Amino acid sequence: MTHSSSRRKTRAAAILAALAFGTGAAPLTAQTPEQDKTAIERMQSEIEQLKAELRALKEQIDAITRTPAVSAAPEAPGLPAPSSAPASAAAPRAASAGNVFNPAISAVFQGIGNASINHDRDDDGLSLSEAEIGLQAVVDPYARVDMFLAFSAEGEAEVEEAFATFQTLPGGMQARAGRFKSAFGKWNQLHNHAFFTVDRPDALTAFFGEESLTGDGASLSWLVPGTGSAFIESVSQVASTPNDLSFNARRRDLLYLQRLSSVLTLTPNATLELGVSGAAGRAGPTRRLLDDIDDAGLTGTLTPAERLSSNVFGADLTYKWKPVQYNVYRSFLWQTEALQSVRRIGGLDAAQELERRTVRSFGGYSLAEYQFAKRWRTGLRFDYTGFAADDAARQRAASAVLRVQPTEFQEFRFQFKHTARNEAAGFLFDDIRNDNEFFIEWIPVIGAHAAHKY
Amino acid sequence: MSRKQGLVATLAAVLISLLAQGATPAAARLRVVATLPNLAAIAAEIGGDRVEVTGIASGLQDAHFVDPKPSFMVKLRSADILLVNGLDLEIGWVPPLTEGARNPKILPGGPGYVDCSARIEVMEVPAGPVSRAQGDVHPYGNPHYLADPLNAEVVAAEVAEAFGKAAPADAAWFETRRADFVRRLHAAIFGKELVDLAGGSKLSRLARSGELDAFLQDSIVDGKPLSARLSGWLGAMRPVAGAKVITYHKDGSYFVRRFKLDVVEYVEPKPGIPPSLKHIDDLVARLGQGDVKLLITRPYVEHRSTDQLSSKTGIAVLTLPLEVGGAPEATDYFKLFDMATSKIIAALDTPAGK
Repeated sequence: MTHSSSRRKTRAAAILAALAFGTGAAPLTAQTPEQDKTAIERMQSEIEQLKAELRALKEQIDAITRTPAVSAAPEAPGLPAPSSAPASAAAPRAASAGNVFNPAISAVFQGIGNASINHDRDDDGLSLSEAEIGLQAVVDPYARVDMFLAFSAEGEAEVEEAFATFQTLPGGMQARAGRFKSAFGKWNQLHNHAFFTVDRPDALTAFFGEESLTGDGASLSWLVPGTGSAFIESVSQVASTPNDLSFNARRRDLLYLQRLSSVLTLTPNATLELGVSGAAGRAGPTRRLLDDIDDAGLTGTLTPAERLSSNVFGADLTYKWKPVQYNVYRSFLWQTEALQSVRRIGGLDAAQELERRTVRSFGGYSLAEYQFAKRWRTGLRFDYTGFAADDAARQRAASAVLRVQPTEFQEFRFQFKHTARNEAAGFLFDDIRNDNEFFIEWIPVIGAHAAHKY
Repeated sequence: MSRKQGLVATLAAVLISLLAQGATPAAARLRVVATLPNLAAIAAEIGGDRVEVTGIASGLQDAHFVDPKPSFMVKLRSADILLVNGLDLEIGWVPPLTEGARNPKILPGGPGYVDCSARIEVMEVPAGPVSRAQGDVHPYGNPHYLADPLNAEVVAAEVAEAFGKAAPADAAWFETRRADFVRRLHAAIFGKELVDLAGGSKLSRLARSGELDAFLQDSIVDGKPLSARLSGWLGAMRPVAGAKVITYHKDGSYFVRRFKLDVVEYVEPKPGIPPSLKHIDDLVARLGQGDVKLLITRPYVEHRSTDQLSSKTGIAVLTLPLEVGGAPEATDYFKLFDMATSKIIAALDTPAGK
């Protein structure tokens, strides 16, 4: 009741005000009879103006009553009122009430063609290597959720990532909980469709497997204050990881991870990122040890240790050049990561007794990519890696890559890769010591516009 | 075990430094970060020396494709207010910045997140369904609204209101600065003489509703219609009204509507899609008709297509910034339009008075 009566009052006030303003809008000259026709037209347009003013004033009054803190602006009648202006714009913003809270949905898949030039291998051929659906939305004023569901070529569905981010913590902190790619180095956190090459660098595959090192747990990141304009971030994570390479112990043996990184702005066009990461967890017996025990007929007699320490350390360096004015057309990236695995493993000694020793293996890659036109990028990647549970195995590789992006939403990748392995590494790859491979990949993205990470 | 102890020690150190952080007093001046230079320029006009304005994008770069460098997160970490253009213009780069800044104030929905498009009358809002078959289409309409100087008035109101809410003690000061900015803006758009005679708000209102010309024609003062007294940017551009131009991207809509230019073609066949050879050929054929005299492009756009068009057809190519700082002379929002209008007039080379 009170609401409608105050409405009426404001409307009356608005009409009065409009009349007052309207008189101001009359032409500044005296009328003569022959000007009658134009005068009528003028009056008509004046009436239209009055209507518009009335609307504007009403909405202004509404706005003022809504936000009493701000005083009415003397010039404000010239402004379109807040609610009237985007009437048309508001329509798509809130398409229908039932859908407005739905998450932003995006979908991407990767079609891969893979062929070894020298060998006949099982995984050669064409495949839809992965399809991924992303669901992203704000939960409430405190958290947002990002979920990525992946469907593999074999048709298995898995939760690739699903985490809540708490963005409103004090002191430059941000927390994450759920399943997420571990903040180890740079490449590990990328989704496959955001890679710079078709394949993952060999060192990451050797230490973490075909998928990123991922864990179910919690993460706390902190933007270190008091550093001027320098960006220094610390990320601490605790997780159970299903990783079966470097951290193949039980899920209750947690993986602890710490990353420190800093991004320095060298010039407006160039940045340098430096990062160090460390992951500490537990590893169980290696496949080779289990095989050896089995071969010796000692299964059941010898019980290998389930939780030996396994640590992987990493350092990364990323130089980016993107000329501010032409950043859509030219860019250069040089990214290098080095990984060092220090792992205790069990073995059988000459006396068929269990012994323990430490295996240290090193790996890394260096990638340089140059974008020479809006849609074209070309890159080179060098790989070197050992293997976490093997002292002797070594693998080297060199790749040349071409990426073509017809638009932001589609990408083609072509990669040629030459791989050379020593004898020990050959054992791990069906005795293939040298290989030349050709990859082709097609990645279309649909749905919500994903923001680009730097 | 010692690893766990180390972790506990690290966490304790983190907590202690957090508490120390909380104890530092807040700075007196409002810290404002603007995504784009035009917004930063308007914020500086309104805030004067009582705010500290930092811009993110450079005037030379494409506002669609700014890189969300971590150094911008550092700037946003301590910001009280973030001014965004909105309408999804910055969709590719503002979300990672606000998410990385660890500053709840400037998250969308937070008290310091100000979408400057809130009161804009948006052009080219797609009427039907949108899909990316249309190119890089903006589903909420054309976001380049500050190419119409009258919209700066709307943004100024938004900004003054936001500043006043964040620093209530200075609200009156911001309001005075806003009124002064709008007064100068009206004088620059319509000319001081006309504003004194008819009132800036009224002219602005009439221009907005498309009734300005009729009003100026019909209002006779001292035996002359008011239209004779129109100067400023609108007056300067009147001789070239109706001139046909082509633009590279569809980012001139607000400008050409206000200054009555006629965009007959775009160098991009669809927004965000670079021209094919065939599209260039089509444009050459179209320009062959001789009625289009000017191609307007932007500082961050490739030159190859525009050079080709210019060498094949002789069309004048003018690189105009959309943002303050996009050219050496465009040092503030007023000079941006001084430059744009004078260069267009010079390029079209139409004798004054037509």
